Amino acid sequence: MKFRGKITDIACLNHFTTFSRILKSAVCLNEADPLCSGVVTTISKLTKTCVLRLTPDHLFFILPGKVTNGGVGMWCQLLQANFFQEYQMEGVTSEVQEICLEVSPEPWSRALKTVQSAKSVKLKLTRKHCACLTVAAELPTLSSVGRVVTHDVPVDVIPRRLWQEFQEVGVPDFDVSVYLPPLKTMKSVVDRMKNLSNFLVMEANLNGDMNLKIQTDLVSVTTHFKDLGNPAGGDVSSQDGGPSQSRDPEVMAEVTVDIRKLQQFLMGQQVNPSKALCNIVHQNVVHLVLLHEDVSLQYFIPAVA
Amino acid sequence: LGCLRSTFCGSRASGVLYVFTLSEIVSQLAYLFANMNCVIERNSVKGPLGKAIHALSRIGNELWLDPMVKGLALRSVNSAHSAYGCFLFSPMFFKHYSLESGSKQGSKAIKCKLVMKSVLPLFRCLTSIERSVERCHMSVSTATDRVIIQFFCRHGIIKTHNIHFQESEALQAVFDSHLCANVLKAPARLLADMVVHFPLFQEEITLSITPMKVTLRNYQQGGKGPMKTMYTEMSLHPNEFDYFQIGLDSDITFCLKELRGILSFAESRSLPVSVYLDAAGKPVCFSVEDMVLEATVLLATVTDSDSRDHSQPTESLTPKISRCISSPAQPVAMSQGPGSRSYTVPDELIASSQGSPVISCPGAMRLPQTREQTCLSVDSQECTSSTSSPASTKVCSLLFNALSSQQDQDGCAAQLPVLACYSDEENADDNPRSPS
Repeated sequence: MKFRGKITDIACLNHFTTFSRILKSAVCLNEADPLCSGVVTTISKLTKTCVLRLTPDHLFFILPGKVTNGGVGMWCQLLQANFFQEYQMEGVTSEVQEICLEVSPEPWSRALKTVQSAKSVKLKLTRKHCACLTVAAELPTLSSVGRVVTHDVPVDVIPRRLWQEFQEVGVPDFDVSVYLPPLKTMKSVVDRMKNLSNFLVMEANLNGDMNLKIQTDLVSVTTHFKDLGNPAGGDVSSQDGGPSQSRDPEVMAEVTVDIRKLQQFLMGQQVNPSKALCNIVHQNVVHLVLLHEDVSLQYFIPAVA
Repeated sequence: LGCLRSTFCGSRASGVLYVFTLSEIVSQLAYLFANMNCVIERNSVKGPLGKAIHALSRIGNELWLDPMVKGLALRSVNSAHSAYGCFLFSPMFFKHYSLESGSKQGSKAIKCKLVMKSVLPLFRCLTSIERSVERCHMSVSTATDRVIIQFFCRHGIIKTHNIHFQESEALQAVFDSHLCANVLKAPARLLADMVVHFPLFQEEITLSITPMKVTLRNYQQGGKGPMKTMYTEMSLHPNEFDYFQIGLDSDITFCLKELRGILSFAESRSLPVSVYLDAAGKPVCFSVEDMVLEATVLLATVTDSDSRDHSQPTESLTPKISRCISSPAQPVAMSQGPGSRSYTVPDELIASSQGSPVISCPGAMRLPQTREQTCLSVDSQECTSSTSSPASTKVCSLLFNALSSQQDQDGCAAQLPVLACYSDEENADDNPRSPS
């Protein structure tokens, strides 16, 4: 089992940095992390493990939607060719060209933070005091000699029998699919709503309308977004390709979620994605999909029981 | 005023009471009796002074104020005596600086020990200080045992804080940086950039220096097997430093937390930081200076043979010291009597220690209240001949107590599990080194 990758192109490094910032927010841990102040103490306890999955073509960063993660799942996929100038891997066996590693989020995000200011990065699987993913970043300096920072992030190799948990999750059979409003706007709305209630209802319909609602004994607040647009094939029936039982475009599909999880998702999105959409399975799960230039990010927020 | 004064003095015994009721009068009186008076302009309050207090608060829980003719020194030491910080503000820093009239070198300018928790909150929010404080007035009143800090704010508001102090001997570590084999000087930015890669909770780091490079890595305690920790290492090329002198390849391990304070201070003032280091076991000195102030942080380093355990309360370690003592080790007296603390003076007094009374350590440690203003040779003999003096005192007052490095490497060091270091006690000229 071997892996080495190298990123030397500045543009690629910038993309990688974007990706790592998204990850950082998703795992949202370090109390000193300026991205995460406020939400940390609750969310940080929820995210204990992250899984890094390597295949010849892709890099996946997965937060399994287990109980320990509060049921929130995150799936982030990169096309390695868009990032790495060198990428070599050998899977666990010659037939199975895949490696699954479990890594602790906090050291990993710290290592990624170093990468943000680097001019080139090398990643490789090594064995030091334990199996490690070594991140070696070369930092720019004024002198001719670069400065090298090495982080050996301890990892656990995940045995093959547990791999099915981390296989690609298909898009669920959703009831409504809608494009998201500008994430910054959503974030400011959700931030204020969080002060009033712990639970938020997200609903949307095939007319491009979306509402975010909270309700308490004293007050109820609803924010309406209109004309968001629905992606083509925006409902189950047309996905099947079968006879369309058209869903009434006015009918809302809704999910009640823990507001902090939605906030956690929104906090990391500092760069506007090229596409952001939301699939809602009524009273079941919210599936958020973000496409940045080279990174696709999927986020699952389950309904509150 | 005369009768007030006598009433006031007479009621000292009642302690807190009179402060509440007479606080206004008391501060006026205190001003009259003030032992030291200084006024600091707004920018200086937020900038150097506030940041100095922040940096010192990272080191210890107590703040020593030492008004001297050559300036006001703010000092702190941590409980394990493995870290010491000193910020010396020259009189030019102040808009007005005066000691009690008649105060000359060697006379009784009062030295105050304050609880850091009382002082830090006043300077905690530097941005709000910048916004509202126009002037800061500090004075020390021996009559009331109070340090009076007044903030003259906008809109005519004056905030007066009376902080109780304990009279104390000077906290003084003398460290001869000229004896250090390796000297580095770098812009604060460089050092800050180096430490940023380590997490805030990282306790100790190891700095290695060779003519080829300077390496910083996190220090892992041995025997931590099952717990997988992330290992970070970075290296710098010598030409990144403004000044690089290497006499001795060495690896030193010291506490990072205590260093961050002075680095942040240096960065805020954009001052270069000088690093004086030697072999493992000897203290490392970080210092920063400009025209009106000098800041120094001394940190103990792990001795060569000890790469396992780390700083623990020195009291608990004393029983383990064996070689240097012939009598059962006594726990280090952290405070003898009412707040007096004593430290030895290593061989050479460097300029910054002028004016502060210097006390011999072992004698005082054993005998409460003993304070000897002795000359060096006597001190040294005290130290070396007192084989019965607890080596613990030598261990614990590591920066302030001197043992010859020769002795350390021979045996004492091997026994010492504490994060200890020693500065050279004797000049070869003054006293022959004697094994204890």
